[in-house]
Amino acid sequence: MTVFGWGVFKGMMVTLKNFLTSYYRKPDEGGIFTVQYPEEREKKIENFRNFPFLVYDETPGKIRCVACGICERECPTKCIHIEMELDATGKPARKPAVFDIDYGLCMNCGMCEEVCPFDSIFMDHVFEITAPERQTGLVRHKDALLKANEYFQKIRPTLASVIDQKRKAAEEKKKAAAAPQPVPPPSTGGPTQGAV
Amino acid sequence: MPILEMAAKFGVYAVMGVILIFALGVVTLRNLFHCALCLAAALIGIASIYVVLQAEYLAGVQILLYVGAVVTLVIFAIMLTEHLAGKTVRQNNSQSPLAIMALLGFMALIGTVIVKTPWPVTPAALASKVSVMGLGKALMGAYVFPFEVISILLIAVLVGTVIIAKKDTPERS
Amino acid sequence: MIPPMLRGIEFNVDMIFVTAKAWILSLLAQFLPAWLLVLASIVISGVVILCLGPVIMMYLTLLERKLLGRIQNRYGPNRVGKWGLLQPIADGIKMFTKEDIVPANADKIVHLLAPIVIVVPALMVFLVVPFGERMTAVNLNIGLLFFIAVSSITILPIFMGSWASRNKYSLLGGMRTAAQMISYEIPMTLAVVPAIMMSQSLSTNTIVLSQVGDYDLHWYIFTPWGIVGFIVFFLCATAECNRPPFDLPEAESELVAGFHTEYSGMKFALFYMAEYMNAFTLCAIAATLFLGGWQGPFLPSWLWFFGKTFLLICVMIWFRGTFPRFRVDHLMGFAWKFLLPLTLLNILLTALWQFTSNLAAWFWSILILGISLWTLVKLNRTFVPEKRHYPMGN
Repeated sequence: MTVFGWGVFKGMMVTLKNFLTSYYRKPDEGGIFTVQYPEEREKKIENFRNFPFLVYDETPGKIRCVACGICERECPTKCIHIEMELDATGKPARKPAVFDIDYGLCMNCGMCEEVCPFDSIFMDHVFEITAPERQTGLVRHKDALLKANEYFQKIRPTLASVIDQKRKAAEEKKKAAAAPQPVPPPSTGGPTQGAV
Repeated sequence: MPILEMAAKFGVYAVMGVILIFALGVVTLRNLFHCALCLAAALIGIASIYVVLQAEYLAGVQILLYVGAVVTLVIFAIMLTEHLAGKTVRQNNSQSPLAIMALLGFMALIGTVIVKTPWPVTPAALASKVSVMGLGKALMGAYVFPFEVISILLIAVLVGTVIIAKKDTPERS
Repeated sequence: MIPPMLRGIEFNVDMIFVTAKAWILSLLAQFLPAWLLVLASIVISGVVILCLGPVIMMYLTLLERKLLGRIQNRYGPNRVGKWGLLQPIADGIKMFTKEDIVPANADKIVHLLAPIVIVVPALMVFLVVPFGERMTAVNLNIGLLFFIAVSSITILPIFMGSWASRNKYSLLGGMRTAAQMISYEIPMTLAVVPAIMMSQSLSTNTIVLSQVGDYDLHWYIFTPWGIVGFIVFFLCATAECNRPPFDLPEAESELVAGFHTEYSGMKFALFYMAEYMNAFTLCAIAATLFLGGWQGPFLPSWLWFFGKTFLLICVMIWFRGTFPRFRVDHLMGFAWKFLLPLTLLNILLTALWQFTSNLAAWFWSILILGISLWTLVKLNRTFVPEKRHYPMGN
């Protein structure tokens, strides 16, 4: 129908329909897709990467990190500072005494996660971090960085399950290698016996 | 209530004085735009005097036509003139004292005529109020011929304006 | 129980405001002389209008933002109070505390006067709006002429604002705004004439009373000339308030902000207030003239009035959410070449309706309207200039 003014009327019907359906349509169907921030959060994908954290198994004493220092050397902004713990005799115990990350310098690149050979440092999902001032308020020490393996499984299930399987397989192999060898049964006859 | 009447009288004289001040401003201010605004204010004041004299329809039409159209036209003309912003216009020259004296003499003459004329201000005339319906009937009845002549004049003016303002299209050979 | 003042005054919800005013005046009558009582009556009406105007404007801005948001697939403001109800107060505080910047070369007196002079007519027209039965502030017998005359003063402060800012964009915007407002005033005034003709009076209250009938079918909008008159009046009202789609003069993306570019803080708030109050009063007058004003079956009269006015305001906001802007030559062409002949024709249709008002009149009216609309549309076809040929070099 090309009556004069029909386009005006149709246009107004489109906006009316949008207005009325905005009250009940879900975001994926074309409704309002605003996420009302403090009350609702957007769903995060698993590989979302923010600042790093350290993983421990079962207790904060059993930290996976051995203070090898590879992440400290690979970090592009040099935000990680590690000091190895020395045991009573002055020999290096394979644990970090000091592990500082300056979140103000960290650029969330994830290189530390990629190069760690001991699956101990991973990128976290927490992004609502504030501090009263910039120079020292954003430095995180070891106790703030330690989080349980259960937390890691919660935020990155697929990666955590792959790493857990790998570690379990490695442990079982170690256990199998460390167990005493079973004595092989004596052979009852050689291949030459019983040959006529 | 005599006090309200006194206050009303005082108000009317005050408005008349303000109109005269604005009218003086129209001819003496140096910034042309300010003159146009003083003209608008003076015309609004005159409309309020019409309201006091119980001619409300005339007051409404005065504001609609004079302030809403004539002053707007004057302001358009001022704005479309180039380079007028900031310029001051000299409003008097060496012949001003002579002109003022002539004006005062003229005012004295007109004032004498006004005072001496027997205006027909009778109680019957004061009590009658022309309603809008009466105006309409008069315009369409007794005064229909001048009405039509004025409308023909307006049409001629409109057509003439459009022709004068039209761009000359270049001849296509 | 009922206090002694109120005995003898009939109490129903419809008359609640009139009763309240009478009660206050009777309280004041005990210690004020008679002449001061007259002044007090005027002052009470004035104070109510002065409080009502800005409050209506504030909640109109919130309504606009929320409705526009829903049309555009987002929530409006909903942080400041529940549903954003305190947002206008936050906006008001913001406007009050902003720095008042006056350009160095500006004409200081005129720059200061422009926002003041634009608010005065916007408030004055509240006097003749019939908010309910017997609730017009001043029942002038030339109410409608007063309304149109006072709204036409609004053009002057736009000139003042644009000239005093000493800014070429403001000047351009001001000229366009003034040209638009003058052009749309004429069809607006002529669209109102049929309502005056049928009700034989210029007083807004009388116009509402002449639309009384059974089942509210005597509203002027249910007549052929009423429909045309209402649509034309509503379009011209949208243009007079500089609302989209007629908002080229203050187009935010083209002329910065038109004539109020150089205004900040409270002065800008006054321009903003004048625009919204104009929108409210024009919708209110459209409701009184064509939609039957405060009439309606069960609810109190003032509730019907505000309901109809807010419905029209929602339609104006709906226009804003739907249409792109008119170009300035289309804008002017629409007013002079389409709406003006249509309103003159509307007056003829009203004259026809005065003689008969039955089905035959409907038939003839629709026939005449159809032919003339078709003619006007054909005459107003978009002008396509001839194609220019640019000869290429080689």
